Amino acid sequence: MTAERGDILKVTDLRTYFPVRSGGFIPRVIGQVKAVDGVSLNIGPGETLGLVGESGSGKTTVARSILLLAHPTSGKIEIDGQDITHLSSAALLPVRRKAQMIFQDPYNALNPRHTVGTIISAPFRIQGVVPPGGVKAAVAEMMERVGLNPEHYNRYPNEFSGGQRQRIGIARAIALRPKLIVCDEPVSALDVSIQAQIVNLLRDLQQEFGISYLFVAHDLAVVRQISHRVAVMYLGKLMEQAPRKTIYTAPLHPYTHSLLSAVPIPDPSLQKRRSRIMLEGDLPSPINPPSGCVFRTRCFQAQERCASEVPPLTEVEPGHLVACHFPVAEPPAAAASTVAAQAD
Amino acid sequence: MTAAAVTSPPRRHRRLEAARDFAVRFSSRTDGVVGLAILLVFAILAIAPQLFVGPLETAVTATGSSLEAPSAAHLLGTDELGRDILNLTVHGARISMTIGFLATLITIALGAGIGIMSGYLGGKADALLMWLTDVFLVLPNFVLAIALAPILLDIIGAQAELFGIRATLLVIVVVIGVTSWATTARIIRSQVLSLKERMFVDRARVIGTGSGRIMRRHILPNVVNLIVAQSVLTFAYAVFTETSLSFIGLGDPFAPSWGEILAAAQSAGAPGLLAWWYIAAPAVSVVLVVVAFTLVGNALDDLLNPKSAVRR
Repeated sequence: MTAERGDILKVTDLRTYFPVRSGGFIPRVIGQVKAVDGVSLNIGPGETLGLVGESGSGKTTVARSILLLAHPTSGKIEIDGQDITHLSSAALLPVRRKAQMIFQDPYNALNPRHTVGTIISAPFRIQGVVPPGGVKAAVAEMMERVGLNPEHYNRYPNEFSGGQRQRIGIARAIALRPKLIVCDEPVSALDVSIQAQIVNLLRDLQQEFGISYLFVAHDLAVVRQISHRVAVMYLGKLMEQAPRKTIYTAPLHPYTHSLLSAVPIPDPSLQKRRSRIMLEGDLPSPINPPSGCVFRTRCFQAQERCASEVPPLTEVEPGHLVACHFPVAEPPAAAASTVAAQAD
Repeated sequence: MTAAAVTSPPRRHRRLEAARDFAVRFSSRTDGVVGLAILLVFAILAIAPQLFVGPLETAVTATGSSLEAPSAAHLLGTDELGRDILNLTVHGARISMTIGFLATLITIALGAGIGIMSGYLGGKADALLMWLTDVFLVLPNFVLAIALAPILLDIIGAQAELFGIRATLLVIVVVIGVTSWATTARIIRSQVLSLKERMFVDRARVIGTGSGRIMRRHILPNVVNLIVAQSVLTFAYAVFTETSLSFIGLGDPFAPSWGEILAAAQSAGAPGLLAWWYIAAPAVSVVLVVVAFTLVGNALDDLLNPKSAVRR
């Protein structure tokens, strides 16, 4: 991995299971949903790690676990060198200043009964921080910084569009100048034109304040825009992790190949001619995942060995990790290389 | 732009606007308006009964003879002691409405508190609180009230006074409150269960907001609509229960609530003597108030429920 020392976020072998209880008068635990099953990540200062995967792959649970919104079953989470996995909520309070979160659905994430001013100034109140010049001035400055009109201080969230609400969420997240912001699908609920604005805003803020991002998304094109490195998740496990360029031009995992081939090309004639990798079936149940490699049930490379042996996440070249017995060495379908070419 | 430029309409102004908007929508509900009008009449009577019918008549100051039928002098007739029924009924409004109001406060405080805590905290606290709620939910309220009233009265002492209110009245208030919060708790808990999964709760937790503050600042304001609608319905129930308890002799014989008048009519043998006016006045009052509260409650429930109404 690139930045060993001075990592802002270090996640080691994180597992987050949710118990499945039987109904009835005295519920018993009858199984575990293995939402996150042994994920390790690290993010350096000012770096963005994109975390991609389809619905149900556990990427949102990773994001929630890092800020202890979901309780990790095992593993270790370190923020700025401090192990926070088992901290009490009181001991966690100062850590919350360093790590913030931006949420997916801007319609759900703002309390409809609070004004924008109340929402953005809440971090100061809760943390007992008085910024120089007073809270109100700081909030106005923050609103202006994220592209909101400070005159809208007393408005309610329902008076704003989706993009503006996401800006409110961002203003609140950067209020305490955190070192890390976990972005849980921050743009997937927005229009494409608004998506670009928000991604650009996040990039500008990163440059200005040196914030690190964990950027969770299912859209490879968006992740390409903002990430320095990309990690691919499937059914609670990491499949591949590599610098951005490598993921888009020389991926090794069959799952990464299939994800890239699902990215549409904005040229109809190319789109028609390209050969696409179509995955069969649905995501298996995380209550009862397949033996061996969890991806083998839908993998075009799968062989007998995949069912018996779990492929370990191994470093095949510096910074490029893959969990696969039979990696695909050839370059990805034409589409992905076009996408990658646009990126650089 | 600096902080000095932060000039948007102040919050109070916006609230006023919202209130006016709500009043307009409420006025389009005929049932709600009718209910509110009836309630206003009774509220005015309860606040200043002397203004309309003079001081409360007693056996000593009675103005008529025994069981007079309605006439110009006594619009609603008199009771067996010669007291004017109109006078008693108007004064009864104060007692009945006060008890209804206090009992509603207790019911809503208990119901909202337990509902919010149970729903938000979840786990063992939820299991315990909901077990308690279920117990109160399945116990027949009225039977429990009948059993509780004399016990509480014995504990406090019938002659005692608390906060200037006679113990007998207070016991009725407590009994109604204790027996009717369970429904409110259940309803509010169900709403809280959905609210706490909303992302603004996660967002509050991420900046380190404690559970108590989340419940007060984020959950409570979002269940206010339920609380308002429940309060109004509870008020109706409380007035009704007070009347019933008084009627069977568990009320305060010195306070002329509607239930007490009905109980007196019963023991004076009004039905047998065909003194219908003795029963009609308090009974019609109770029915009117209960119906009015139910009308207002239903209208509020429809208007305040964000799911049932199309809102801007």
